[in-house]
Amino acid sequence: MEWLDNFWATYSTLLLSVGTNVLLALSIYLTLACGLLTVANAAFMAIGAYTAALLTLQTGTPFLLALILGALLPALVAMLIGRPTLRLSGVYLAMATLAFGEVVRILILNAEDLTGGALGLNGIAQLTTGFDVAFALIGALYVLLRFAGSRIGRAMAAIRQDEIATELMGLNVRAYKLFAFVLGAALAGLAGALNAHFTFFISPNEYGFERAVEILAMGVLGGTGSPWGAVLGGVVITLLPELLRGFGHYRPLINGVVLIVIIIYSPQGIWDLTRFIRRRHSGKPAVN
Amino acid sequence: MNLKLNILSAILGISFLYGNAVAADIKIGIAAALTGNAAQYGLPIRQGLELAAAEINVRGGVNGNRLELIIEDEQGKKEEGINVFKKLIFQNKVMMLFGPTLSNSAQASDPVAQTAKVVVFGTSNTADGITSIGDYVFRNSVTERDILPITLKIAAQNTGLKKVAVIYGNDDIFTKSGYDNFKKALRDLKIPVATTETFAKGDVSFKPQLTNIRASNPDAVVLSALVAEGAPIMVQARQLGITLPFIGGNGMNSPRVFELAKGNSDNLWVGSPWSVESPAPENKRFIAAYLKAHGTMPDQFAAQAYDAMYIAAQALKTIKLTGKLETDRKALRDALPATQWNGATGPFKFRRIVGRNGKPAGYDAVQTAIVMVTQANRYVIKN
Amino acid sequence: MLAQQFINAISLGGVYALFALGFTLIFGVLGIVNLAHGAVFMLGAYSALHAVILLRLPLMAAILAAIVTTGAAGWLLDKLIFAPLRARDAPHLAPMIATIGLAICLSSSVEGFFGAQNLRFPVEALPTETLSLGGIRITWLELQIVLLAFVLMGILMWCLKQTRIGRALRGLAESPKAAALLGIDVEGLFRFTSVLASLLGGVAGVLIALYTNAVFPLMGQPMLHKGIAVVILGGMGDIRGALLGGFFLGFAEVFSVAYIGSTMRDAVAFGLLFAILLLRPDGLFGKATQRRA
Repeated sequence: MEWLDNFWATYSTLLLSVGTNVLLALSIYLTLACGLLTVANAAFMAIGAYTAALLTLQTGTPFLLALILGALLPALVAMLIGRPTLRLSGVYLAMATLAFGEVVRILILNAEDLTGGALGLNGIAQLTTGFDVAFALIGALYVLLRFAGSRIGRAMAAIRQDEIATELMGLNVRAYKLFAFVLGAALAGLAGALNAHFTFFISPNEYGFERAVEILAMGVLGGTGSPWGAVLGGVVITLLPELLRGFGHYRPLINGVVLIVIIIYSPQGIWDLTRFIRRRHSGKPAVN
Repeated sequence: MNLKLNILSAILGISFLYGNAVAADIKIGIAAALTGNAAQYGLPIRQGLELAAAEINVRGGVNGNRLELIIEDEQGKKEEGINVFKKLIFQNKVMMLFGPTLSNSAQASDPVAQTAKVVVFGTSNTADGITSIGDYVFRNSVTERDILPITLKIAAQNTGLKKVAVIYGNDDIFTKSGYDNFKKALRDLKIPVATTETFAKGDVSFKPQLTNIRASNPDAVVLSALVAEGAPIMVQARQLGITLPFIGGNGMNSPRVFELAKGNSDNLWVGSPWSVESPAPENKRFIAAYLKAHGTMPDQFAAQAYDAMYIAAQALKTIKLTGKLETDRKALRDALPATQWNGATGPFKFRRIVGRNGKPAGYDAVQTAIVMVTQANRYVIKN
Repeated sequence: MLAQQFINAISLGGVYALFALGFTLIFGVLGIVNLAHGAVFMLGAYSALHAVILLRLPLMAAILAAIVTTGAAGWLLDKLIFAPLRARDAPHLAPMIATIGLAICLSSSVEGFFGAQNLRFPVEALPTETLSLGGIRITWLELQIVLLAFVLMGILMWCLKQTRIGRALRGLAESPKAAALLGIDVEGLFRFTSVLASLLGGVAGVLIALYTNAVFPLMGQPMLHKGIAVVILGGMGDIRGALLGGFFLGFAEVFSVAYIGSTMRDAVAFGLLFAILLLRPDGLFGKATQRRA
């Protein structure tokens, strides 16, 4: 299996990145599934990454514990800002969460003694293995897929369709929204903590506006109808640049064109395209 | 421009075929930012490396072995840097690596090379701590720690400055690292700082900070910026009536300052081992060759990359290649530290540094600083 | 010093407001957060720059060239991306993600043609005069940017109120379906808006590039980032709000540099924005029920 060893040696980081990016896509799927446009995921990722990296770097905390705390702290922060913030809707919610993200980034940049400021944290031990990422991914997917068919999932879908009607039906809309937001933050934090431990180095600029938009793109591109959509979005957005490497200078251009084409021909997300295949498998006729 | 280069390398390839038909190629990996914002630094680096390799190959290569460059774009992003490093090391099985362009990417990807025991040679990573990653990490990029005190001292002697104001980019590893070294040098030279201001990449207006600086009444402005922000800062300072001298790090050592700050570029002090005005014959030869190959004037990034290729070739010359990759990579690592060179950036040798754990780690550059001031669209050497 | 900072804030606010005008127009009428607006802004700057350098056109003609290029880009933007998505009844986030793809395409194409390095307008083409009054300085260009922002706002608001096309646009912003029933050429108006908003972005690109001396492929990215804040602060789709939002952000940034410290500038500005949104969920100047397109 020399070929496999060589493959893993070359592409392990890429595969791990696919894993953490899918976690990020799942984290934004949670809020999108409730019809909430929040883009604080990059900031939660930063909090998770810095928390876990500082713990393993400076206190020698066991990796598993660092991961857990890396997911918990962002969840806690989400709980605090979630209550006032989630009253907002649409682009105003997006802006508030974007502004929050920017504040987090600047605070990390300025807390030089702790975070190293712009110089970042380097020499982070390589502790994340393929198993860690696979385990986190399977766990997250399992939970989210269970939600999708349960009371929680139906409540979220109802909120997305019509918030006021759902409230009138006696559901605690605010609690469901907060739940999605906090769980999303935990997933993003976990992704950040895992990512920090296979890239040796983190710096505040990785978690800015561009990352926030990229996470959103993964969520929307894949489709917000199912957790599988988020998985597809994360995989496509991470692998596409690598698959296009042979195009050299044209790589970013083609990358952009492919994104546009996907969206135009599958505006509901890539997952939506697989609907026909799924229908055929379950024996029902495909509907136009 | 690219076409010209392709033709050049095609010709070189043919001459090689007829020259040393039996020799093996030495594969050298280059990871540089060729697209994205950092491409403005990655491109001259690539061109400098290619120029040197072409020159070496045309003269018969290294002990008859031709240098084969495998170039990958790392886009100035950390994950791309790691992916490209792994591809070059494990798939292309290169002898050694040059790159990556930015210090951020280096912090993430150099450990990959260290773990795989492959020499990684940085030509543009100036941030502190990069060579402390391990004993396979080398760089010939200027460590500002040695240069800035000399720049400040000579600028102070010439301008009679008593106190300074500082402005730097605090969201960038390069400019922040430069600032840290300026701060230390100012403290060592006992020059008081009237005010310290920061800016962020992509800022439109620097006038609020410059207004603060003007109010603090300094004798000079210390500037840790790359030319992309540094030049607009100088222009806006002059618009606010600040005619003070500026003292910059090597990020401001670029002929482009005369274009980007045209009409306002005078009285900027910079220090660097390389100057476009340096009269050394090696430098003159480099500039002429670069101009001929690429049609533009070289900058410091190109000069350092050009020298780096020669330094590596010099080390390769001293080792006997066995064809066994691990052995050869190790032999190259052992040969590099003692390598000396006199190139476009002047006399060069390596200095071993102490890593974070107190043990000896990688290698920084030892070079002499040239301190210059801008006058009428030229750098004038002052030491 | 306070007076100078006041002037700095007005000039920076003018820059932000000018950028935000086209951005808010697209949102108001098409309901799309156009993340390619920064790239269109950059396209305007490059068009004018190369009209000056290669064709040796005077600055005014170069601005015209930028208007033509970015107007065409706006037409294509709607024709190739927004219209097909409207036809497919796409969910509201789809066009926004498509504009991310477009922004990548535009900036990487420009980078391929003209390189990644910073460029600037030749000094001869620049209005370089500086006005000075008792130690307070402002350049002509800054003054022109601020004035232009106000003039464009005035023209836009007047047109929306007084002209037929403006009234149609406002109707469209309220309800495309109702507008279509009333016999308004909905598709044509959408396209017209995309062209208008893009060429406004192009003009902003030229003027701001003249001011910053920094033309590079990703120059629109930081502006976009600030532009989103400005537009939302002003109430999305609100022309006057875009202007007020721009000046608000300008003042917030400049005075946090003056009194709190430049390292905290963006934290203060965005922290303030966050707080304002919590207190006024529809933006500082927005109205909850009514959209002023």
